[in-house]
Amino acid sequence: MLIALAGNPNTGKSTIFNALTGAHQHIGNWPGVTVEKKEGHVEFEGESIKIVDLPGTYSLTSYSLEELIARNFIIEEMPDVVIDVVDATNLERNLYLFTELLELTGKIVIALNMFDEARRKYKINVKRMREILGLPVIPTVAIKGHGIKELLQESLHGNFAPKGMEYPDDVERRIQKLLKVLEKYKVKNPRWHAIKLIENDGEVIKKIQSIGARDAIHLAEHLRHEIEDIYGDDIETLFASFRYSFAHGLFHEVAEPINVGGVTLTDMIDHVVAHKIFGIPIFLVIMYLAFNFVFEVAAPFQDAIDLIFNGKDIAGGGHINGLIDISYNWMASFMPNWLASFINHGMLRGLGAVLTFTPIIMLLFLILSVLEDSGYLARVAFLMDRLMRKIGLEGRGIISIMLGFGCNVPAIMSTRALRNERERKLSIALNPLIPCGARIQVFAFITSIFFVSHKAVVLWSLLLLSMVVVALVGFVYSRTIFKGRAEPFVMELPPYRLPTIKGLGVHMWEKSEGFLRKAGTIIIGAAGIIWLFAALPWGVEYGSQASYIGQIANFLAPLGHAFGLTPEALISLFFGFFAKEVVIDTFTVLFGTKSAMLASMTALQAYSFLVFLLFYTPCVATLATVYQETRSWKFVLFVVLEGFLLAIFFSFLVYQVGTLLGVGG
Amino acid sequence: MKLSDLKVGESALVTKVEGKGAIHRRLLSMGILPGTVIRMVRISPLGDPIAYEIRGVFISLRRDEAKYIEVEKIVPLNLVPPGERVRVILVDGGPGFMRNLSEMGITPGKMVEILRGCCPMSVRTELGVFQVGMGIASRVFVR
Repeated sequence: MLIALAGNPNTGKSTIFNALTGAHQHIGNWPGVTVEKKEGHVEFEGESIKIVDLPGTYSLTSYSLEELIARNFIIEEMPDVVIDVVDATNLERNLYLFTELLELTGKIVIALNMFDEARRKYKINVKRMREILGLPVIPTVAIKGHGIKELLQESLHGNFAPKGMEYPDDVERRIQKLLKVLEKYKVKNPRWHAIKLIENDGEVIKKIQSIGARDAIHLAEHLRHEIEDIYGDDIETLFASFRYSFAHGLFHEVAEPINVGGVTLTDMIDHVVAHKIFGIPIFLVIMYLAFNFVFEVAAPFQDAIDLIFNGKDIAGGGHINGLIDISYNWMASFMPNWLASFINHGMLRGLGAVLTFTPIIMLLFLILSVLEDSGYLARVAFLMDRLMRKIGLEGRGIISIMLGFGCNVPAIMSTRALRNERERKLSIALNPLIPCGARIQVFAFITSIFFVSHKAVVLWSLLLLSMVVVALVGFVYSRTIFKGRAEPFVMELPPYRLPTIKGLGVHMWEKSEGFLRKAGTIIIGAAGIIWLFAALPWGVEYGSQASYIGQIANFLAPLGHAFGLTPEALISLFFGFFAKEVVIDTFTVLFGTKSAMLASMTALQAYSFLVFLLFYTPCVATLATVYQETRSWKFVLFVVLEGFLLAIFFSFLVYQVGTLLGVGG
Repeated sequence: MKLSDLKVGESALVTKVEGKGAIHRRLLSMGILPGTVIRMVRISPLGDPIAYEIRGVFISLRRDEAKYIEVEKIVPLNLVPPGERVRVILVDGGPGFMRNLSEMGITPGKMVEILRGCCPMSVRTELGVFQVGMGIASRVFVR
């Protein structure tokens, strides 16, 4: 048996999905697009039921990808039952989608979700609703698991005798006329096709054209003009009005408002958090706290994982062995040294790196879920939209940019909050240009050596440079390669709700698991490759001038000279590709002392190096995440090239102009 | 006037939804239709977008989108000062609600004179003098 879940966004549809399927779910993408597809499985009363979560939509037109996916699934896969998840606190608007679903299938179970909250707003007569619609109607409170079993029971044994939605007589007569013509062509679901033809639905017209039903298309066009003439408005407005008046009538028939007027809690909160003057400062404070929470709480876990894998140097000399050392020593006892080194210093170190990301990612998705489930994320979009639109993003785009200053990996994952595919890709392309915490650490390290008296100025100049570049690149991208049809930004500001622990837990695990499995594999593989370059030919000192990477660095040295990059700087950039903070280790290993570092580079060279480090390729983990989110190696390559081009351009500019002016020589 | 011309707190009745394609369709499916009552709730600190209340839901629209919506300004009865005579434009509620009000002579097209503002409100209609609760008055729109 196949059940599809349909419903508006913000109705608790995914909570119902989780409650129905439990852990038995699979998250993938709908074929050919980056829209997330969730499938699950449940055994109920001996029946094996597959459940597909359709994208949340407000209607079923052909104007958006999500809406097309949802309706094509119902037409083509013909689910046995569609569960329409309705936000009972917002019944009228939600019933609009129901009227569209009803034209596609008669096997609908309505879940009146958030029923507890709705009961404070109006008295809903569920029995009356069942009678009017002739369909099962179940009150549910998904976050508490109420009504979930009943949904399955009704899906299996429910009585489906849909009364349908009535159009005005002069419209209905015309639908019937077209229906007769369409029946000749044996299309599935002829009534739906007839209505959509009259409604001037681009996709359906194409489809009917392809089966050669020219007479149906001509007739539909004629009927459309007739209806437009009778009612004196355009066809889209008219059909939306017919459906809404049904929804409106049904709503008033089954729901009786308890408390009208008066200021709601949501209104009061909005009065403060969306305030003309305080709104944006409050947002900045919330982000600051959220940010600190994620990185502060994650830090000890990350340190612990790092300690377990890499061990620790003891202050007075000596070294406590970590898992990598122990495992290497053990393996080296029965296999060639190079193999043991490859497995442990390459791959196992990669695994360690993957695991150190996990606490950040889990906490970050915890915070993001709190922001989203509480309703605050929509307010962020409301507050920041105007600013972000200048670089081609909607208001929510600010979140991934701010998170980028912590770590680009979760920041790129957070772009899932953007509904529009074009904007998602744009914000993924911009994110690596924001210096993450690891790069900022390197900045701090290098400036503390080379720019003792101007530390803050140098640091801020780099942050400012990155902000200017992000704004410029965003401005250019959104008007060139990431240009697209302007999508409407009609956004609901849902009432504030307390997020539930259970819901948060599910979110957290769902997202982190995907990162660990997919991005993790790529990171471990890349760690192996980096090892090969740094440790071979076998016998040389790891990462030294004699290793392959050292040889490459020496080969590139004349080129690097144009940017003020020394061979040591090139080697450290290579290791920075694995993880940016490794640049610090590499410097320490290559030079040993501060004075050796100071002797190796001029201040201008150091600054040019930092500018290069700011933009050049994102680290392996970030690239793996870019791949995971876009499923495109081309896109990964694009991000790498973008970084290198900007790095080359700006460090060249800095070094050459600096040299000309005789700065820092 | 355009929806984007409304000031904070003002209400309006939609008369026409213009625009083409996706934006037109999206506005309609959010329930913005001729005859719908919309209240302007607040403006974003940066001046755009704007939050409106539509069918009991808060929806944010960019100015570029709100300008597709043609409206005429209306006032909920509870905000009309005493002494004024106004014409009823719309009664926002179900059949039962509309019946109750029509028994007091409050139906679209009829004139109403406000005798006392608060509370409860007292009005004179064709059918006599009646007291109206503020919650009910907030769902009667006049001009």
